[in-house]
Amino acid sequence: MDIAFLLELSANGILIGLMYALIALGIVLIFKSSGIANLAQGAMAMVGAYVAWALLVLAGMPLWLAIPLSLAIMFFFGTGIERVALRPMVGQPVIMVVMLTLGLEILLRGLAPAIFGTAIKRLDLGIPQAPIIVGPVLINTAYLVSGAVALGLVLLSIMFFGTRLGTVLRAVSDDQMASWSVGIFVERAIGLSWGLAGVAAAFGGILWGSVQGVDWTLSLLLIKALAIAILGGLDSIPGVLIAGVIIGVLESVVPAFLDPHVGGGTRDVVASLVILLTVILRPHGLFGREDIERV
Amino acid sequence: MVKIGLAQDFTAVYTFVTSDYNQGQRDYFTLINERGGIDGYTLQVDVVDTANQPQRGIEAYERMKNDGVVLVDFLSTPVSRAVVPRALKDQVNMMTIMHGRSDAADGETFPFIFPMSPLYWSQAASIVKYIADQENGDLKGKKIAFVGIDSPFGREPLPIFQALADKEGFELSIFHYPSPGNEQSATWTSVRRVRPDWTIIWGAGVGQTVSLREAIRNGIKLDRLVSNAWLSEVDTEIAGREAAKGVLRFEGVAYGKDLPIIQAIENEVVAKGKSAGPAEKVGSSYYNIGVAGAALVVEGIRHALEKAPGKLAGPQLKAGLESIANFDAQGLMPPVTISARDHQGGGKGRICQWDGTRWVPKTDWYAASQDLVWELVRKTAQEFKASGN
Amino acid sequence: MFYRLSGIKPVSYAADAQLWPVPFDRSLVAVIIVLAVAAPYVLPSLYLGSYLLPWIIWATAALSLNLLMGWAGQIHLGFAAVMAIGAYGAIHLVRAGLPFELALLGAGLLSALIGLVFGAAALRVKGLYLAVSTLAMQYMIDWVISHVPAISGGSQATLQTPTIRLLGLPVVSEAGYYWTALAICILVTAFMLNVERTSFGRALVAVREKDFAAAIIGVNAFYYKLAAFWVSSFLGGVSGAILAFCYYRAVTPEQFHLDVSIQAVAMVIVGGMGSVLGSFLGAGLVLLAPIVLNNLVVLAVRWLDLSLPSEIVALIPLILYGGLIVGFLLLEPLGLAKVYDNVRKYFLAWPFRNVQR
Repeated sequence: MDIAFLLELSANGILIGLMYALIALGIVLIFKSSGIANLAQGAMAMVGAYVAWALLVLAGMPLWLAIPLSLAIMFFFGTGIERVALRPMVGQPVIMVVMLTLGLEILLRGLAPAIFGTAIKRLDLGIPQAPIIVGPVLINTAYLVSGAVALGLVLLSIMFFGTRLGTVLRAVSDDQMASWSVGIFVERAIGLSWGLAGVAAAFGGILWGSVQGVDWTLSLLLIKALAIAILGGLDSIPGVLIAGVIIGVLESVVPAFLDPHVGGGTRDVVASLVILLTVILRPHGLFGREDIERV
Repeated sequence: MVKIGLAQDFTAVYTFVTSDYNQGQRDYFTLINERGGIDGYTLQVDVVDTANQPQRGIEAYERMKNDGVVLVDFLSTPVSRAVVPRALKDQVNMMTIMHGRSDAADGETFPFIFPMSPLYWSQAASIVKYIADQENGDLKGKKIAFVGIDSPFGREPLPIFQALADKEGFELSIFHYPSPGNEQSATWTSVRRVRPDWTIIWGAGVGQTVSLREAIRNGIKLDRLVSNAWLSEVDTEIAGREAAKGVLRFEGVAYGKDLPIIQAIENEVVAKGKSAGPAEKVGSSYYNIGVAGAALVVEGIRHALEKAPGKLAGPQLKAGLESIANFDAQGLMPPVTISARDHQGGGKGRICQWDGTRWVPKTDWYAASQDLVWELVRKTAQEFKASGN
Repeated sequence: MFYRLSGIKPVSYAADAQLWPVPFDRSLVAVIIVLAVAAPYVLPSLYLGSYLLPWIIWATAALSLNLLMGWAGQIHLGFAAVMAIGAYGAIHLVRAGLPFELALLGAGLLSALIGLVFGAAALRVKGLYLAVSTLAMQYMIDWVISHVPAISGGSQATLQTPTIRLLGLPVVSEAGYYWTALAICILVTAFMLNVERTSFGRALVAVREKDFAAAIIGVNAFYYKLAAFWVSSFLGGVSGAILAFCYYRAVTPEQFHLDVSIQAVAMVIVGGMGSVLGSFLGAGLVLLAPIVLNNLVVLAVRWLDLSLPSEIVALIPLILYGGLIVGFLLLEPLGLAKVYDNVRKYFLAWPFRNVQR
């Protein structure tokens, strides 16, 4: 076995896993506060990328202004969605609300290209194309930057949940009724989590958009992100990080050795097997909290 | 009036090509109408979105059939495949230019299906021929890597590549990335590891963009990287115009505006504000493919009306299309000759190169290993025939 | 809908337990069945072949999934894979020389067998975790189908369905396909209507509401969860086979991808979980709304003579479709069946407004 080969696969796998984790982070943030899996997270990432592109290219803003501005816009976009579509659904069966987010996903997937144009867009963040070469190992610069941003953002989220506001969010996730009774403005807390999810989506969308170009296909990142969120445990932020890395590395390393023997891309199958095994062995994900059910 | 149905995928998988392609088709039909139609017949185009879903394609097809269309174009492999049995039964012509079943080139098994463009198998053979020419005809011991999307489409050219590898003696390594291909870094690490002399990429849409970027990153020499027909200036734009310099692709239809037929569209359609889309798309790779397809259809209608004036239904148009001979749309494409047996039209194409701003032809129009291609066409067509009972 | 429930006084258990105690309901069902059977003579072939036929097939599939999601409360994101097993199974069985009727059964059994494996995951997890396990299964089955040419059919990955013979008679016309699908649809609908009334259905509902509680009152949750997966997959496999034979007539792996699974789930949820009528309404909305919206928008653009680029014309229906799903759920989260119920209750007391909604 070739060590350099393995190293390179693992290194890039870790970074890609982190990039997926960025999208998954938004799902976890919303799940933690409201118990809903947001199936529109991929579409939100797509909107974030479109917004950043519009600011950069259409409005001609410099990078340092366009990125923070698009993050801010996406924050309000997230809270806006919560206010308009999710708040009326409070108290309805979870599956209906999840379906609603799927409807949102379809809506956004039509709306964004209709507004900004269907042609695929180039989003240039000024990240050099040339790889970083460490000994015999080539590391993708764009992935390195994205991975670092993802890592930072996840760590920031972990820290955030230690603050007062974060404690409020934790309380809401624990028990919405009890939070109401102690004077927490539950709706506002859920709105905040949607805003933060919007920011995470914007980061994810912009970074992925710079790699693959901006068009509607960015919304397809949802599936992988959902798998990572569930593997890590839907309500665990460190879980996202670790699950992202695990999936990233396995998806990168295993197919490289398996593909030549079976004649086809085994990546999604490997990921599926990992998920299936985890669910069977650890039903609540790696770090998810196991709720005790009472009759 | 002649009705033509364009039920294409504007919102799902083929978004990277559909709008340019569709605009090209409609602009050419508009050009013909502006000039007074064909023998007094004007063309009416029906456009609808199928979102790549077979059930929507079937609905669109049935509705268009009721409207009396003589030719349909889905520009979607799954939808085309699902409608093939119906079109054959209803005697409605289906154009599958640059997509659909390759074995539909066998006009005897698929009388109403018209690829009229180099099949993927022909593209594969032409690419190998080009590589062999660059290596002075000797591919023995050379390493060629194939990087394709992991779908039936990405596996389709493999039989030809393998047959040629056996014949020419090159070493073929095959890599597949999962659909849709927005992330391929592990695949390309493996590609780099075999140190290929030549690399062939085989995808469409976002997969091609990412393949190109990853090839650049992994230091693959771009003038030794060849794509199938689905690589356009949009992909090089996103990978970086300068960075993508040198990449090669197969083309079945010429690129650019310096062609009489495109000039005519500019002057008589776009200048009058009658184009079906933005003016800057005129002359782009996929736009020109649309124009080429439309030109073939118009040529077929012309022949059909010559043969049977005043009568134009499915079978007449089929006969018209099958009498197209040496038609090159004034240099837009290689001379195409279609017969009742051969619906491919010769399988000619050429290799062109991205020079940083445009695609520059590197060769003349040529076809390669057509005997091998046809052997495969006959074999799979036979399988199709056998499966219908 | 303008009818009263008064005067319905069952005097025996049999009368009380019958499917449609209201005479009006009985005649309505009879009229609908007569209309459905007569449809090929009444409807133009366009509407029969590309609206009604896919609608009843998808309604059958939605019913099968609804048994699992609506009655047993298990989420399933891999239903298209189950249908694919049925479709491919039936095609290969017919090719191997089995009569169509037996092949249909065989396809159902094959789907049920593999569907049970999905069910095994359900014994461990529920909710979203189950959703993702079934998603993983979908990927694995997709992969196997498209990577084994013996299943998917050679380098073109397309299989034509053989001509079917029912009781020795070849089915070739559109009407023949329609009646075949309709027969299966009626069978499955009747089965589902009866599920609600049997101990099996009630046990499923008990498991759905709370599996621990069900276990305490003596319902074997383990058995009923697996049974739900078994039955639902069986029916799903049969509807997949019908979809392939009666509608598509040429099968490719793309016809059973993940987005199709999501469509099936959408049919059940938008229609109404645990509702037979809802499955029909949901299938109608999810399947036909994009088509109808598309045609309407194209017509409107042509009529108003707007010169919009084709891609925008194509995106408007997508936006409307998404908006429709969001709108319906915001308006009535319990689905179309509940909307129908509300309307019916409103008219039961009309013109008075004394019925509580």
